[in-house]
Amino acid sequence: MVKKFGLKLGGLQQKILNLVLVFLLALMTIFAGVSFYQVTTLDTVVDDASREQQDAIGKVSDDTMHQVIGNSMIKTNALQAYIADDMFSDVKTDVATLQSLATELFEHMDSFEPYPFALPDPAKDGEFSAQVIFEDGVDYTKSEYLGIAAHMSDTMIAMCEQSGYLDNCFIGLADGTHLCVDDQSANKYDENGVLLSFPVRERPWYTSAANAGELWFSGVEADTYTGKIGVECSAPVYKDGELVAVVGADLFLDSMGDYVKAASNQGGYISVINNEGKVIFAAEGNGIFTVETSDNARDMRADENKELAEFISRALTEQTGLTSVNVNGKEYYIAGSPMNTVGWAVISFIEKEITEQPAQIMMSEYDRINDNAAGKFNEAMAYLQQTTLVMIGVLLVLGVVTALFVAGRIVKPIEHMTKRIDEISGTDLAFEMDDSYRTGDEIEVLAQAFSTLSKRTINYIEQITRITAEKERIGAELELATRIQADMLPNIFPPFPERTDFDIYATMTPAKEVGGDFYDFFLIDENHLGMVMADVSGKGVPAALFMMMAKILVNNFAMMGGSPAKVLEQTNAQICKNNDEEMFVTVWFGVLDIKTGRITAANAGHEYPIIKKANGEFEIFKDKHGFVVGGMDGMRYKDYEFTLEKGGTLFLYTDGVPEATNADNELFGTERMLASLNAEPQADPKTLLGNMKRSVDEFVGDAPQFDDLTMLGVKLL
Amino acid sequence: MDIKKTNHDNSLIVGISGKIDTASAPKFEQELKNSINDCTELIFDFAEVEYISSAGLRVLLSAQKTMNRQGSMKLINVRKNVMGIFEVTGFTNILNIE
Repeated sequence: MVKKFGLKLGGLQQKILNLVLVFLLALMTIFAGVSFYQVTTLDTVVDDASREQQDAIGKVSDDTMHQVIGNSMIKTNALQAYIADDMFSDVKTDVATLQSLATELFEHMDSFEPYPFALPDPAKDGEFSAQVIFEDGVDYTKSEYLGIAAHMSDTMIAMCEQSGYLDNCFIGLADGTHLCVDDQSANKYDENGVLLSFPVRERPWYTSAANAGELWFSGVEADTYTGKIGVECSAPVYKDGELVAVVGADLFLDSMGDYVKAASNQGGYISVINNEGKVIFAAEGNGIFTVETSDNARDMRADENKELAEFISRALTEQTGLTSVNVNGKEYYIAGSPMNTVGWAVISFIEKEITEQPAQIMMSEYDRINDNAAGKFNEAMAYLQQTTLVMIGVLLVLGVVTALFVAGRIVKPIEHMTKRIDEISGTDLAFEMDDSYRTGDEIEVLAQAFSTLSKRTINYIEQITRITAEKERIGAELELATRIQADMLPNIFPPFPERTDFDIYATMTPAKEVGGDFYDFFLIDENHLGMVMADVSGKGVPAALFMMMAKILVNNFAMMGGSPAKVLEQTNAQICKNNDEEMFVTVWFGVLDIKTGRITAANAGHEYPIIKKANGEFEIFKDKHGFVVGGMDGMRYKDYEFTLEKGGTLFLYTDGVPEATNADNELFGTERMLASLNAEPQADPKTLLGNMKRSVDEFVGDAPQFDDLTMLGVKLL
Repeated sequence: MDIKKTNHDNSLIVGISGKIDTASAPKFEQELKNSINDCTELIFDFAEVEYISSAGLRVLLSAQKTMNRQGSMKLINVRKNVMGIFEVTGFTNILNIE
């Protein structure tokens, strides 16, 4: 673990930190995802809501406008048509009154005296007065009708004064004279003060009424004197079926124009169409209708714009609803009402765009508010984002600090523990519980376990030390026992330095510290040498103890002078008395008559002895075998005899020699044993034994030995 | 050394293979102790026994003494070299070898 910035990279602390960071990142990713989704959804919702609201507002306002405009336009138009019609109706009534008055006068002209009449008096300009004017070449003084017609003068003056809209009224006579009532007396004269002629019978109102034979309305005409646009109403007067005069009145459309202009101020227009489909009146620049004098005026019912033409036709006969028409690429709301008196129609219209202005204003206001709100929303969002970023930052820092702190708290006791454990060595073995380990979690358990382990280890080490000491003591004792055992065996050579008639040598090489083999030799008397070669079953201390007992018993019984068989029987009996361990010992025991070389021996389950004659080779002597000593109570053994020649050698051994095993699991065997002895047959016992030991060692090599190697050699000299 | 035991009623056949020496004799002894309590006929199959040391002989002697009290014991298929050991040690006198 690399340590950096006080943090062990790859350590528990970093892992905890990683965990916290991963957790925080996951949390933040989810948070960010949800936030993003919410913001997107909110945006969409706000957008959608805004659009829906706009649509709804647009539609509602459109509908409302349409309704409001429709209602007001239809009503207003109808009212205006009514008013206009009323006006024309009044004029019509007035003209009809004049007609009937004139008819009455002329029918009874004989009963009336001529009434005075006069030429226009410029001084009376500005007030209504009756004035006589005439056609060129007509002598008005000669007129027989003028005096009669003059009776109407006062009536006509009163009519003009009382009527709010009549500008004048007149009676044109068939003889070319004309009596008119107006307030324009000065205008009847030219700049030179000459009375202007007036072509009575050429005037349209005259000819038209005469031709029609009934009440007639003119188109829009410019007034002869004022130049003002007006409408003339005239009616023929007959006397005895003869046209004698035409009465009429001029209606200047000033008053109606005021309505129209007033309406125009609000973006709407009013127009009047006559029964021939011609535009009587229209505000200037209205976009649809243009006023022309009768001669030039077109029939709007035949307009190229079918929609408009159809509407005009309809408006002349019935009250239309609010209709939408397109003129020159512009949409208009239009409504028409017929004027029943004259058969004309009043048309109101307004550009749709204008009606939509409030809605548009409202919409743009709404947009402004909306944009404002959206701006604020975005600001709030940005602020929220900033806040969130700051929060995330704070959270990260807090998370890292907390993780480091918590991890540090977790790691510190572990580090402390690790340090303490690293320090443990030699005699400083105690790992003791410390307050810093009392974390209440697994660390405490771990520390507790370490503490227990440490105590156990200390105990164990103490125990091991004790056991080792014990073992060492036992080892030492075993070594001592080995020495004692070795000391028990005759091991000083030559043992009988004063004897020159025989040479004896023996060795024992235990496989373990204490072996079970033993040899023994002792002089029973001057001429008798007792020789023992034995092998105790088993190894170690028990075998050694058993061996000692057997050695002493054989020695004792031998010294008491019994034959070898007797000695073995006595030994067997003695051993079998207390042999619960069922140990036994193989024993070869022989007594050599040193003078004669005669050997009396008994074999209790031991290896065959090997004998060499004076000039012969070593050979195995297959003697009679009895059972092992200590194996079975009451065993009998048999003595046998053979002779050792002078210069001959007797070789005794335990099974450790022929049964020595090499690494290939081969036994040394009697053949090799004999070969070793026969390599130097004449050698003294010590050399023979040395050769044998070497041969065995060479054969065995590194293979471990399990059995003792015990040999005895005796040579008669 | 390996020991294979086969039970037939109260007769136990103990097949041994390898060497019965000082090192393996305690195991041999232990195996026998555990199984011959109720046994009336104990048969040792020595076909695979290569060698027997005095420690092994001691176990055989001990078993023989036990079986003398509760039934019979015999050794079968004893190899020549092992037979030699029995002869040398006089065990042929006390063991029933077939």
